[in-house]
Amino acid sequence: MEKNIYTSSIRHHLAAIWNSATQHVQFVSLIEILYQFLLEPKETDRFLTQLNEFAGENGMSAGPLRSLMKSVLLLPHGALKKNLTAEQVKEDLLNLGVNEDKAAHFSNQWKVHYAVLSRVAVGQTLMVNQLVDMEWKFGVTVGTSEIQKTGNIFLQLKLIIKKGNSTENVYMELTLPQFYNFLHEMERAKSAMDCFS
Amino acid sequence: MDSFPSGAPESRRLADSTAGTLSVSSAEAKQLLTALHTLSHYVLFHNLASPEQILAVFPDTFHSSLKNLITKILLEHRPTWTNEALANQVSLPKLVEMDWRVDMKTASDSVSRMAVPTCLVHMKVQDFSCSGGNDSLSSVTMELSKETLDTMLDGLGRIRDQLSTVAGK
Repeated sequence: MEKNIYTSSIRHHLAAIWNSATQHVQFVSLIEILYQFLLEPKETDRFLTQLNEFAGENGMSAGPLRSLMKSVLLLPHGALKKNLTAEQVKEDLLNLGVNEDKAAHFSNQWKVHYAVLSRVAVGQTLMVNQLVDMEWKFGVTVGTSEIQKTGNIFLQLKLIIKKGNSTENVYMELTLPQFYNFLHEMERAKSAMDCFS
Repeated sequence: MDSFPSGAPESRRLADSTAGTLSVSSAEAKQLLTALHTLSHYVLFHNLASPEQILAVFPDTFHSSLKNLITKILLEHRPTWTNEALANQVSLPKLVEMDWRVDMKTASDSVSRMAVPTCLVHMKVQDFSCSGGNDSLSSVTMELSKETLDTMLDGLGRIRDQLSTVAGK
């Protein structure tokens, strides 16, 4: 792990507050708040509220606690990026001056949550024009202005695509042979994907 | 058979060439084209598929061998015209082309090592309803994760099952 991201102030924070002031019980609940946020990174409001509550209950001021946790977050983010194991995380914590119990607890939680955490990290990876939803209907054309009676089957697809922050709807119509071809091609794509997993 | 397309009765060029070929005046040529146009559309609309049905349209006093010749030509062209009419009918943009590729994501800014397959699908759709013959061809590329592709195949499979139920009835 790159030591240079850990400035001396973070080392000071981690060592001082984690080791001396917090009892093990407080430490455990603080780490729980941290992991809850890591597992659901969109819940920023909940994270901040929980930190404020923790500060109130334990006689700390909320501001410094928030900035402490912000720098503490660098540790798991860096670890995820480098696919670190629980042992490596524990070793890094010990090197930063955190005592044995606390480092062990943190890395145990890391092991427990690692699968979900890496899935979350992968989920945050860039996706271009992601297909979000697909709606369809099919029916029979009964007649047109050119032909009074006909029995032509059509399939209509609506594809909802995420473009940046908004979604775009793409509408199209397929004939029956086109539909069967589309289905066939998608099955081929799926078996190509299955080869890799 | 040039009289079939919808703009035909108005086309001066066609009227003039008809007038020239048949040695008639251009007013008569125009009349002829309009009549043929109306007749061919009538046959198409009411789906007159047999010679008897088409012959029944002509008045009794109509010249008999000309009647037979016209009927023969109409019958011959009807399937082509039907397909053309169905292809050009009012509809949502039609799928023209589709291709796909499967990629393997190996790294990103949030994870430096991973092996995640992903699928890219590209579709070209054409909107025939634009007037002036200016069809708008648009293209869309989208990315599907494995879950999305599985869900999509579920949906497509359901469509296929429903189609075969309908077809079986």
